[in-house]
Amino acid sequence: MTFTWEAALAELDRRRALSRELGGERRVTRQREQGRLTIRERIAKISQEFSEVGEFAAFEELDAYGNSIGMLPSSYVCGLAKVDGRTVALGGEDFTVRGGAPQTYLDRMKGGLGGFVEDLAHEYKIPLMMFLEGIGGDVAAQEDKGHAYLVSSISWKRSFELMSEVPVLSMISGAAVGGTAARTVISHFSVMTKDSVFFAGGPPLVKRALGIDMDKYELGGAAVATTSGAIDNVAEDEEDAIAQMQTVLSYLPQNVWQMPPRVECTDPVTRRAPELLKIIPENRRQPYQAPRVIKAVVDEGSFFQIGAGWGKSVVTGLARIDGIPIGVVASNPRHLGGALDAAAAEKQVRLVDMCSTFHLPILYFVDVPGFMVGPEAEKGNVMRWGMRAIQSMVQADVPVVTVQVRKAYGLAASATSNPDRLGLRLAWPTGAWGDLPIGGGVEAAYSREIAAADDPDAMRAEIEARMAALVDPWRTAEAFGVEQMIDPRETREVVAAFLNASLTGLETSLGKPRQQWSLRP
Amino acid sequence: MTLIESDTAGTVWKILVTEGQAVSDGDTLIILESMKMEIPFEAEEDGVVQTIHVAEGDVISDGDALVTLGG
Repeated sequence: MTFTWEAALAELDRRRALSRELGGERRVTRQREQGRLTIRERIAKISQEFSEVGEFAAFEELDAYGNSIGMLPSSYVCGLAKVDGRTVALGGEDFTVRGGAPQTYLDRMKGGLGGFVEDLAHEYKIPLMMFLEGIGGDVAAQEDKGHAYLVSSISWKRSFELMSEVPVLSMISGAAVGGTAARTVISHFSVMTKDSVFFAGGPPLVKRALGIDMDKYELGGAAVATTSGAIDNVAEDEEDAIAQMQTVLSYLPQNVWQMPPRVECTDPVTRRAPELLKIIPENRRQPYQAPRVIKAVVDEGSFFQIGAGWGKSVVTGLARIDGIPIGVVASNPRHLGGALDAAAAEKQVRLVDMCSTFHLPILYFVDVPGFMVGPEAEKGNVMRWGMRAIQSMVQADVPVVTVQVRKAYGLAASATSNPDRLGLRLAWPTGAWGDLPIGGGVEAAYSREIAAADDPDAMRAEIEARMAALVDPWRTAEAFGVEQMIDPRETREVVAAFLNASLTGLETSLGKPRQQWSLRP
Repeated sequence: MTLIESDTAGTVWKILVTEGQAVSDGDTLIILESMKMEIPFEAEEDGVVQTIHVAEGDVISDGDALVTLGG
């Protein structure tokens, strides 16, 4: 047939229409009935401009006998997009096509496991945002190839490389299984809707392997995944999940070669926080809500919590001070008294490493009685994880401002500030610190003297009273063992002054993470 | 109907309300003790205490039901 422009462009339109049909009316309807958007709807929701790539990638759908049913668009949609005015690489599985299985039928993968969309993020040095919904692997893929595929032929290099180059943000709506679950967690932030599931293997696989019957939500629902820490946050619905990804993006730069985006701040840095005197009870046995302390100091409305479902001894998240994006860690006295267990240490490492990568200063509100003790903590490897938390703090390539809210005892205190850098610690009059709290410490150190005394209780009380005088935080301030004592109400202003001043120095550390000086133990 | 769950492990130290009692937003209903801290759980709206799921001295895990409030 002779070439005509009319025919050629009509063919393009026809194929474009095919790609818009996704997996066909029946499957698209089922997707909607189950309360989920299609991948094209998700992309349209988050981005204003979308330059698609691989729009016409397609394959022949065969029935179980190998007969052709017709052409289907490929199971992944991706391209260049503008999200809140920011250029990003954007992609996601089309669950209505082969359950979002990897595009092994194509010469080049579009996304999901490596692929074009990752190359796009890497070369242009732009964030990668992914909508994940897929079954991971697919037995039918072996038919495509005509042989069994040794999975160690897959390169994950690009996926891991991107973690030190650009923000990688992921969202699950529906099921993320196997390979799709794997891709989800190689990210700086992940969120799943409350109805989604996430697992290495689903109920049928679990039944075959272990002989147990489990409902998919019991196995890998949001409660499981956000309590294990596999997924950072849970969302009410897709709209919420998309909004959370956009929120996280707003704190982070396009890539590690740039400073995080500072915004105009309408909340004056001179705002005092008298509410802190109410939030922190005078009675030391009474806890407070850590987020309330954070919110009193950071820019109004700027605190975004990450990982609320696990590692609850600390509250972690992102915020701004005077428009400067920062990472925040705050001890949570409501959980284990704020003691750092393995999960809290791991959660802290994740946040600190992300801040170090993207040049976000860290603000730490300290109220920690120590590493957690007891059989559960020991079985959870608290010591090794606790030391990793210290290591990540002292290797963080960003300014850290530490506020001594209340307790700071033992090794856990080392995870809250960096003595190899400025080590700026601002104490509130409620600050209390030492190697050990007096109560347990006296008993341990003076057990012989107490036992030998005529009146052991009186002896113990006398030693404790003597010690109490020594632990007055003002004595440490006099010795310049803590850098500054402040009125809590002035915290915002003081922190803002130091963070603003630190920015010029921070700019000299732009680029990829500098060589880590030690391997994680 | 609002179910108030614990967000931490601990022991039930004090139950400050009885079933059928009217409470206001902000009233402390139960205090847990954990790691030498007294952890209060408050009503987040006005209501009536429907069911108290625990007794003083009970050992509680993160996520356990404490109190159900009704309208």
